[in-house]
Amino acid sequence: MHEVSIAEGLLATAVNECKKSGYGKIEKVSIKIGKASGVMPEALLFAFDAMKPDTIASEAVLDIEEVPLAGICLYCEKNFETEDSYLLCCPHCESSSFRVISGRELDITELEVF
Amino acid sequence: MKLKVASKILGANDRLAEENRRIFTESGVYVINLMSSPGAGKTSLLESTIKALSGKLKIGVIEGDITGTDDAARIDKLGVPVVQINTGGACHLDANMIYEALGDLDLKSLDLLFIENVGNLVCPAEFKVGENLKVMILSLTEGHDKPLKYPLMFQESAALLINKTDLKPYLDVDVEKIRKDALSLNPATKIFEVSCKTGQGINDWTGWLQTLTS
Repeated sequence: MHEVSIAEGLLATAVNECKKSGYGKIEKVSIKIGKASGVMPEALLFAFDAMKPDTIASEAVLDIEEVPLAGICLYCEKNFETEDSYLLCCPHCESSSFRVISGRELDITELEVF
Repeated sequence: MKLKVASKILGANDRLAEENRRIFTESGVYVINLMSSPGAGKTSLLESTIKALSGKLKIGVIEGDITGTDDAARIDKLGVPVVQINTGGACHLDANMIYEALGDLDLKSLDLLFIENVGNLVCPAEFKVGENLKVMILSLTEGHDKPLKYPLMFQESAALLINKTDLKPYLDVDVEKIRKDALSLNPATKIFEVSCKTGQGINDWTGWLQTLTS
């Protein structure tokens, strides 16, 4: 629902990084979105394309890498990874005490600029 | 030319949230971001809380709504400082909206500031605004399935208020399931059962608020 706000933040950060490095046009923006970040890739692509005209990213492609939710159980100490967006308990021992290692990402990793 | 970057997409919001937090800390005010579905009782809870803590804590309120000033008018009647933010469509408050509202409040005169977020169980949980704690309300009429349907907000909230307990005899709602699922999502969450209508449980809640601000 708030993918427009995310796209706004994404464009502002990308434009800022590009200008800071002395370039004037963005061709590609690569990002990592965690499966548990609450952001829908399709909605983010739509918002990004709607907001990019009139910016130096007007022709930029958005490349999204989805990161699965992974964690370590604090009870049985095993690692786990899931395709689900949320986990309520450790898939091995069903303890609800676990630490999330990845899956909440909302990161820009690379820009292609000229 | 490829540029390697390592930036948080919401980095601009997070930085501004930290700046708000610095201003709050310097002013000596404790800040709670209050979130819930529309109609769960955020404004009613604030009314009950302000009345119960009258003469004990100096409270201020920032009201977030898509449009309208009804909530701010209700708080204004109680004689506490209130600022209304209209997001004009946005489904949540962000750090910049709060930053811009701060000029209208004398923060140094307050002990406790409530930020009443836009009614929504999803998006407000994603955006830091500079608060010390997030607190959420779930009203019994919403049903016991909500913690597992909207887990992020339950995971992010330091306290869960289960409101409208006076309606329990009329509803097929399993309060124990709400408690169990909320605690499995966030074992540290503090749960209060309240009724803003009858005042039940409000003293436990306001007692907890006083321990936070003392």
